[in-house]
Amino acid sequence: MALRVPVNLRKNLSVVLYAFQALSVAAVIIGLASLLLLPLDEYSRRTYISENALLPGQVHAYFGGSEQNIVRAFRKEVAELGNSTSDVVAFRMAEIFRSAGLKVGQQKYSYKAAGGEYTGENVYAVLHAPRGDATEAIVLCAPWKNIDHILNEGGVALTLALSRYFKRWSLWSKDIIFLISADARAGPQAWVDAYHDLHGANVQSLSVKSGAIQGVVVVDHPGPYHRFESLHIMYDGINGQLPNLDLINTAVQISRDQMQLRTDLQEMWHHEDTYRHRLRTMLRGMVNQALGHSTGPHSSFIPYHIDAITLATHGDGWHDEMSLGRTVESVFRSLNNLLEHFHQSFFFYLLMAPKRFVSIGTYLPSAMLLAVGLTLTAIRLWIDPRSRSSTDDGQAVVKNAGEKGGDEKKKQTGDQAATIPKPIDGGPKRELFLPLSVVIGVHFCGVIPFAVFNTVDYKSMANVFYIFIAASFVLPMILATLIALTTPPRRLMQTFHLSRCFSLLFLGMFLSTLATLNFSLSFLIGLFSLPLTFARATPTSTPIALMNSILLQLTSPFAALFAVAGYWGLGVEDVLREASFGWWVWGMWTPAIVWCVWWPAWVVARVSVDASFVMAATGKVPVGA
Amino acid sequence: MTPTSLVSRQWLPSSSPPLLQLLSRLLSTLLLFSLAGSTVADTYDETLLLQPLSGQFLLASFNFRSHGPIQAFNKQMFQLFPRSLGQILQYTHTRELHLRFALGRWDSELWGAQPDDGQNAGGTGVELWAWVEADNDVEAEARWTSLNNALSGLFCASLNFIDSTRTIRPVMSFSPTGDYPTTNTTRLFLLHGTLPKEPVCTENLTPFLKLLPCKGKFGISTLLDGHKLFDASFQSMSIDVRPICSATTGECDIEIQQNIDMVLDISRSLQRKDSPVPRPRDQHELICDATKSYGSTEYCYPLDNSFDLPWSLSDLFGKSILGRCPFAVRSDQEVAHVCIAAPKERIVSLPEGSDVTQKTLEDGRRCYTLRDNQPFDVFLPKQEPPTSPHRQEPLLYAERSFTGHGQEHGGVKTVLRNPSTTDAVEVVYLESLPWFMKPYLHTLKAELLPSPPPSAGKDAGKVISELYYRPALDRKRGTQLEAKLVVPPNSVVIMTYDFEKAVLRYTEYPPDANRGFDVASAVITIPPHRRKSDGKFVPATSIRTTSLLLSLPTPDFSMPYNVIIFTSTIMALAFGSIFNLLVRRFVAVDEVQRMNLKATIKGWIGKLSKSKEE
Repeated sequence: MALRVPVNLRKNLSVVLYAFQALSVAAVIIGLASLLLLPLDEYSRRTYISENALLPGQVHAYFGGSEQNIVRAFRKEVAELGNSTSDVVAFRMAEIFRSAGLKVGQQKYSYKAAGGEYTGENVYAVLHAPRGDATEAIVLCAPWKNIDHILNEGGVALTLALSRYFKRWSLWSKDIIFLISADARAGPQAWVDAYHDLHGANVQSLSVKSGAIQGVVVVDHPGPYHRFESLHIMYDGINGQLPNLDLINTAVQISRDQMQLRTDLQEMWHHEDTYRHRLRTMLRGMVNQALGHSTGPHSSFIPYHIDAITLATHGDGWHDEMSLGRTVESVFRSLNNLLEHFHQSFFFYLLMAPKRFVSIGTYLPSAMLLAVGLTLTAIRLWIDPRSRSSTDDGQAVVKNAGEKGGDEKKKQTGDQAATIPKPIDGGPKRELFLPLSVVIGVHFCGVIPFAVFNTVDYKSMANVFYIFIAASFVLPMILATLIALTTPPRRLMQTFHLSRCFSLLFLGMFLSTLATLNFSLSFLIGLFSLPLTFARATPTSTPIALMNSILLQLTSPFAALFAVAGYWGLGVEDVLREASFGWWVWGMWTPAIVWCVWWPAWVVARVSVDASFVMAATGKVPVGA
Repeated sequence: MTPTSLVSRQWLPSSSPPLLQLLSRLLSTLLLFSLAGSTVADTYDETLLLQPLSGQFLLASFNFRSHGPIQAFNKQMFQLFPRSLGQILQYTHTRELHLRFALGRWDSELWGAQPDDGQNAGGTGVELWAWVEADNDVEAEARWTSLNNALSGLFCASLNFIDSTRTIRPVMSFSPTGDYPTTNTTRLFLLHGTLPKEPVCTENLTPFLKLLPCKGKFGISTLLDGHKLFDASFQSMSIDVRPICSATTGECDIEIQQNIDMVLDISRSLQRKDSPVPRPRDQHELICDATKSYGSTEYCYPLDNSFDLPWSLSDLFGKSILGRCPFAVRSDQEVAHVCIAAPKERIVSLPEGSDVTQKTLEDGRRCYTLRDNQPFDVFLPKQEPPTSPHRQEPLLYAERSFTGHGQEHGGVKTVLRNPSTTDAVEVVYLESLPWFMKPYLHTLKAELLPSPPPSAGKDAGKVISELYYRPALDRKRGTQLEAKLVVPPNSVVIMTYDFEKAVLRYTEYPPDANRGFDVASAVITIPPHRRKSDGKFVPATSIRTTSLLLSLPTPDFSMPYNVIIFTSTIMALAFGSIFNLLVRRFVAVDEVQRMNLKATIKGWIGKLSKSKEE
């Protein structure tokens, strides 16, 4: 039983080639469209509490009354210390914790990144669970200065007051650790590394420890104002990892339903739950996830499989710090109920409103389809007869290429070809050495920018960056010229063809793997890499080459860097410093992926496009073009 | 008749004429009572020690001890020794038994050394070790299993889960505390098992109290109420049974000692009395620091530990002691039942009209003797400035934690700190690990801090002097690691090793698989020795670290069902189509016999006509 096909595919591949092209275009379009569909009611779901043990908001929160006097006093203490050095602060905080009868530890750290030194001293206290055995712990963290470098007056005062308040309860089943980190970025990382004994010599070991950390809540109530309008829940972790959705749901449910506090996500202060707002929330979340940076002290915990969120206050309203305290109390009562580590709900999701999300099963296809689009293009390039050399059988290539011309011609050549029995593998050979060495070589070159940007000083960062842009503009030119001048014309086109093929294949496979780990990064790189599917060597048409070149330039990693800098309103050197800091302190992989995966793929595409100019200029038109 | 059959008969309904047996029993009992009852009777003591600890905590140590002649015990004539326990011990040939139930952790930083040198404390959960007399290892194992099963029923604890994977045979850590002048010690087998996950609760306390002669109805045991006991910050119950022999007369007694140590948070216990929920205090109840510049009614910087909290027995325990246990008396001397080891400056007052003899011991303890049917209470008033309770520096601080993270590997780090400035401490470190935690022995390292100077020689940094290691067998037994090491004065030993996490079978996970698996606390034993600096004798001391929670790679348990369903569907589809293809006969169209309608009809008619003829 043979499959009946109207044309003989062995002789005429054009149908297959067109089919691949169509499929790859369709994959990209469907991938993009399916992402835009996600905010619709039909594709997203309402959040729900999956872990029954949490029982959010089922207990009365008692924090209030005379506790407010204590919070006010601690606020004064914090404000007085305001601009003191980190060790003075740690000493004073340790004193307060110790007088409450807690076990206190202090930890100094110092990180070096982008020519800067980031030092500080964390202080933390452990409240032993009355009947517990140091097997499990939950953490209440308040950075001394929050992510925007504002003194976290309310948060620290609240943590100090809650440490005394929690000690009076006998119901805790887990130890509670109160952590006051010196800052919001390096401090928590130093602490959590040392907690797992995975720190370097630049970070002190912890003198007091407890058990496995089950959850972390960070309170961020900066500035001297008592009142706030809404609660901003931050949840993005390093490298786009996310905390368990149950933790976010618990916080949202408690603050909205129990405390009547509005909750915001991703700095969407006026969320009306419309399609546009949902999409914007989702896209902001995706940008944060793709960058893989820390959005608060909670981010550092998440790579250790510790679920963490930050509760930050926003605006000026009628809620005061006691509402925040009660929210924290209620969240802690819920965490205390946990019998097992968070595992029930989702770890891969996109939130589009505080109570609306899509899970990985729904959103993953869009990033996968983009990656599939790249892979399909790579396969098309591989089976394309132009990727085969014509060493002993030059005519065949010419004929095959000529076949596309018209139907009459096809019939004639088809008959001719049929007379020469050609085994499938015995056909014209692909010359793999040059294209493979180009692709591999360029990928190895990716280590250079990665290493350079992680070591260069902040002051010279911008200059080095512009030099590097120039270099990566020149590098493909040089490569293209070298190849064009040294390679015989009949092998020229297939060299560019195959190098694109390998580079796209690698990119496609990498992105589909990445999509399961960091969906947003994979999606965004896939989106930016779309021109790579059609930017090819066109020696016969310089305008097309010019257009391709401009498109490539617009979707380069540099353009993306400028876009990110513009999005945050920063200079490009600040973004690079952040990346360097991220690599050294948080172990952030984004720069490695950009420089070692995306940039080489882009360079290889540029080589093909630039070759068109070179060939047009030298008049060296290859066979089969 | 062998001793085994003699003992085991009690479990069976007696086969001999019941009346005769009963008579003979009665007779022998009467005989024994008339002969020995007046002279050799079981003695019983009970004492309660109340000792304030720093940080507004109170240690309440209950001690119940009875002993009687071992001959009577062997003949199953129990006076004060609990019959239920005695019969189990005899049936399983257990010569010495140590059972511990513990909850919470002893804060040695704050409270100092553990009471009784830690001899009465166990690791979190349940810990049991016993010397079982047997001919060989197999028999010992069998008797150990039946001991666990019987105790499990007696104490409502999951002791029956102490199977071969949780049983170890320590070599260096434990030595018998009883005397065995007649027993061949090679016939004694030491077995040790722990259940770190066992939550100790009221259902364990009730059978514990039932073993007491007064069963919690009279005497100091009336204070033992589940609600108060299990609200304590640290709580440990222990039972020790051992034979003790007099060196002069050579007569042996069997001793049972029951002990309960609990550490109460005084402020929390007092507050419980007013309201079960620790609501924020009224504004006027706050104790604020008035020296602060911002001091006003709106601001309150809290002041701590500015005075000793007032407490009485009835405040902390919810009731006062109800008279005296009638067995806890000695004809020859006045026995102290309740002692308070508070600093001398602390005032202790008795309620008015109470008729109790008070005695102050040399070490400053104030002791009281209870009277029949007279309730007893003491009251320690509020005192300012606060007194500082006596704190005995422990011989060693021990702390153990996991290092690293991930599903595949991990590490254990134990920190042993010797606070003494003059004396080195020799310790035996015992670790009993579950089989799914596989340590790499080559990674075992002991680092000494501060590190010895290079001039001290190569062996100066060598801390571990002896090592006993019994590797795990999958699903059969756990790892046993015993190390003898020396901690020099004023230094810290950091012992680390790495381990691999095994992947369990899908049915081996407990229902709460994502919680993790408890790893029993390490036992650190300091053998009895004479202190080098002042020649003082230091009795055997033991310290337990906290238990650990090990997270193993856990499958998503909804996943197997999905897999099973999908695989079954595919199997069904594949099987269906293949089976279909196999049994169907394929024939070409022209091979099929053309149907001849006429002949068929004729055939039928023929058949019909034949049957008619018949």
